[in-house]
Amino acid sequence: MTKSRDDRDEQKQHDPGRRRFLKGVGIAGAGAAIADHLWVEAEAQEKPETLAGNVLVGKTKATLDVNGAKRDVQVEPRTTLLNALRNHLEPAVTGPKLVCDVGTCGACTVLLDGKPVYSCLVLAVDAVNKKVTTVEGLGSPENPNAVQAAFVENDALMCGFCTPGFVTTISAYLKKNPNPSLAEVREACKGNFCRCGTYPRVFEAALAAAKNL
Amino acid sequence: MEKIMQQQPQAQPTPKPKKKIRVPRVVNGVEQMVEIEVDADAGPGWGPNDKHTLLNKRVTRVDGPLKATGVARYTYDQRLPGMLHARILRCPHGHARVTKLDTEAASKIPGVKAIIQAPLTELRFAGAPVAAVAATTPEIAGDALRAIKVTYEVLPHVVHAHAAIKPDAPKVVAEENNLQEKNKNGDPAKAEAAMATADAIVEGEYISQRVHHTCLETHGMVVDYRGGDSAMIYASTQGTFTIAADAAKELGLTESNVTVSVEHMGGGFGSKFGLGLEGLLACRLSKQTKSPVKLMFTRYDEFVMAGNRSGSWQKLKAGVKNDGTIVALQARQYRLGGIGQGSQAGQPYIYRMGDTYREIYALHTNEDSSIAMRAPGHPQASFAVESLMDELAYKIKMDPVEFRKKNLTDQVYHRQLDRAAKEIGWSRRNPVAGGNPGPLKRGMGCAVGTWGGGGNNQCKVDVTISRDGSVLVAVGTQDLGTGTRTYTRAIVAEELGLTIKDVKERIGNSKLGAANPSGGSTTAASLSPSVKDAAIKARMLMAERVAPLLGNPKPEEVVFSGGKVSAKGQSLSWQQATASLPAAGLTSHGEWRADLQARGIHGVCFAEVEVDVETGHVKPIKMVHIQDGGLPLNRLTMESQINGGMIQSLGMALWEGRVMDAQLGMQLNPGFGDYKLPGSLEMPEMVPLIDDDDKREAVIGIAEGCIIPAVGALANAVFNATGVRVRELPITPDKLLMGLTNSATD
Repeated sequence: MTKSRDDRDEQKQHDPGRRRFLKGVGIAGAGAAIADHLWVEAEAQEKPETLAGNVLVGKTKATLDVNGAKRDVQVEPRTTLLNALRNHLEPAVTGPKLVCDVGTCGACTVLLDGKPVYSCLVLAVDAVNKKVTTVEGLGSPENPNAVQAAFVENDALMCGFCTPGFVTTISAYLKKNPNPSLAEVREACKGNFCRCGTYPRVFEAALAAAKNL
Repeated sequence: MEKIMQQQPQAQPTPKPKKKIRVPRVVNGVEQMVEIEVDADAGPGWGPNDKHTLLNKRVTRVDGPLKATGVARYTYDQRLPGMLHARILRCPHGHARVTKLDTEAASKIPGVKAIIQAPLTELRFAGAPVAAVAATTPEIAGDALRAIKVTYEVLPHVVHAHAAIKPDAPKVVAEENNLQEKNKNGDPAKAEAAMATADAIVEGEYISQRVHHTCLETHGMVVDYRGGDSAMIYASTQGTFTIAADAAKELGLTESNVTVSVEHMGGGFGSKFGLGLEGLLACRLSKQTKSPVKLMFTRYDEFVMAGNRSGSWQKLKAGVKNDGTIVALQARQYRLGGIGQGSQAGQPYIYRMGDTYREIYALHTNEDSSIAMRAPGHPQASFAVESLMDELAYKIKMDPVEFRKKNLTDQVYHRQLDRAAKEIGWSRRNPVAGGNPGPLKRGMGCAVGTWGGGGNNQCKVDVTISRDGSVLVAVGTQDLGTGTRTYTRAIVAEELGLTIKDVKERIGNSKLGAANPSGGSTTAASLSPSVKDAAIKARMLMAERVAPLLGNPKPEEVVFSGGKVSAKGQSLSWQQATASLPAAGLTSHGEWRADLQARGIHGVCFAEVEVDVETGHVKPIKMVHIQDGGLPLNRLTMESQINGGMIQSLGMALWEGRVMDAQLGMQLNPGFGDYKLPGSLEMPEMVPLIDDDDKREAVIGIAEGCIIPAVGALANAVFNATGVRVRELPITPDKLLMGLTNSATD
């Protein structure tokens, strides 16, 4: 094989991972920053291939630990954790909501080894070997955790579409800081958007939950 | 089942005497009063507002535990076996014609199941749908969009109102003027003559931007049609019954064979009625692939093609006497609805302004059509008139609260202004605008709002009591997050003397009893009378049934309270009482009763802000909103709605706004990263007040009323703090700093 002087081919040979990684996260991540049309030809021309045993295009098996259960799932490298939970796991885990898909609203927040993350910004394959906890894993309607109970009690939800994100964020925050001030609660919630206008009661619920931990 | 109508077929041999009442009805989007007939002896009412056991209390919402634990199933959460994911290809030009759509490469991508062209080939705004794809995963659908090659004939566009109004501007619709006169009202000569008698005159141009609903659950549907004679549709909609007819046409089915379900929905704010283009495309894709198809807008789609609150451009001139009496108003109002009509309440909004004359126009641009948004047209008119009112008050050196009272005939506003002024501490306000020392300057402002909120007679409710004691209330209505499920249950539980947990509700399905779409704050006033009617009838049927066990009292003598059914000193537990029912239990059917609802609400908002005059940053400090609404069905959820109105107003007043690029014709901020929503760090102290001096024993919708006045109140607070009048929303630091610079050099 003759070494090409074409930049693209050079990149392909010397840095195969990066380029295909970018291609892989097309929609969910890099796609937000890179014009859609740049991908068109590459997408149409390239075929699934493997490198060093790792599937870079096409589907791969991943085992996710979701709310304490090991769940096998077939995903593409570009599949986000959020998408894997909602659209690939069977049965689906739909507590985390898809609202913006680009890490700006917090509705898809899950805990990764106890730390809140936007699951639309995490690739499913990167969540392997980590504990994923969704809002469903924090409590149930019959046995809610303190934050979930406080949300109901204080009417901290209206349409409820942002609620799983807020509940998850605040549940994680109260573990770190069980006695927050109002200012600290506001700060903790700044990565979550609500449109109905529940913020004042979200704050009240968080402070009430802290008392009941 | 024992139907109440069947049980007493001979009870009324002659027709009941009727009385005529006037009720509001929305015809083609316009509210009109129509006369209807109701029974002259329409049954017992709600009773005094302070005598309820569950209503007018703080009841936590019944779907709260489901929503807080992620169990609530929204349209977006539907996942059916074999379901395909659809996405839409958008037009990148402000105005264009599709001349060629090449889907060959896209259709070869493994997993792509169908590609269809959108119905319109002339696209009048950037973001207009061009084609739709259904594929096995959302990612593959995205791949297919990128592989479709479209050839456009690009046409001239115009996206800004000040450019669109010029005679030589590109035409949004060929052969039609961008400026369309809509109506005129008043006598121009009289207004002119009255203006000449004024001691002071204020003239200003007020501009409100286009803001987005940004429902967190985007628009969309799951259409499940696999061939055969019936289809199921899961929709994120404000109108369970607004979809089936159009969907049936698309699918080639009869309307009654299309079932629509909306268990929970993630926000609508006026933007989700009918099948919509997303539903139409989902139907066609499902029909073509014989598979369930989920088509939910992406967030980008939602910004550019799901509608928005129309903008406004209002040229107002008012004259006032030194004693505070307004003598004249002249108004020229432009509705900025993109390719749509827009909406804007006519001036003068609420206030009495002597001799008035106004002209209203629609001014079109190459932008997505505006669509109803919470109190359509009212915040726009309110912002302009409240700013004008403030300017007049300062000009004649009169307290803005007193000045408003002087020009408001309705005394309800007077008491609300007084109460809210006290709550925010209006006496602390510096009457000199910008008069406080230092760079962080505080100021206060106020405004008023109104809405209808009456109901209509579309809701048909069934209450079923089973022999095991369970109670079910069923109606096809939808809960947008307003608390519909909760009050539906509470009305029945209260009537039967039970707890909220003893009653279950079933809603959100077009196979249940009819219900009106949730628009114009009409749901509560339409639904709750029908629920109450069904509950009363169920109680009377139960009373007749158990009478022999209680010494044969008259039905109205039987008391339902505390989980017991009692009369003549004897008492049955609820379980004992219902054990006497036949195997099928009993079902009562409720119809709307006009006497259980009313219309006409009042709200007043006060705001306090702190402005950093060195940076132009506005920090909201405190907001108070007082709202009347007859009988509050649930104080907890009503307060939440009032909070929501204030918070959405904050966004419109200070941060939000669609930004359009003149050259590209595209929206520059179609995402939460660039479109600034209110967030947790910006929240002021909020005080939602329910006006309990409203003694009307009637249900009235309040959701829209509580979004109207806050924008004006905030704008006026900024003026009081700084002495700078920003007449164009949102009030961002650049505009304030420009104003501060200008006033410093004056």
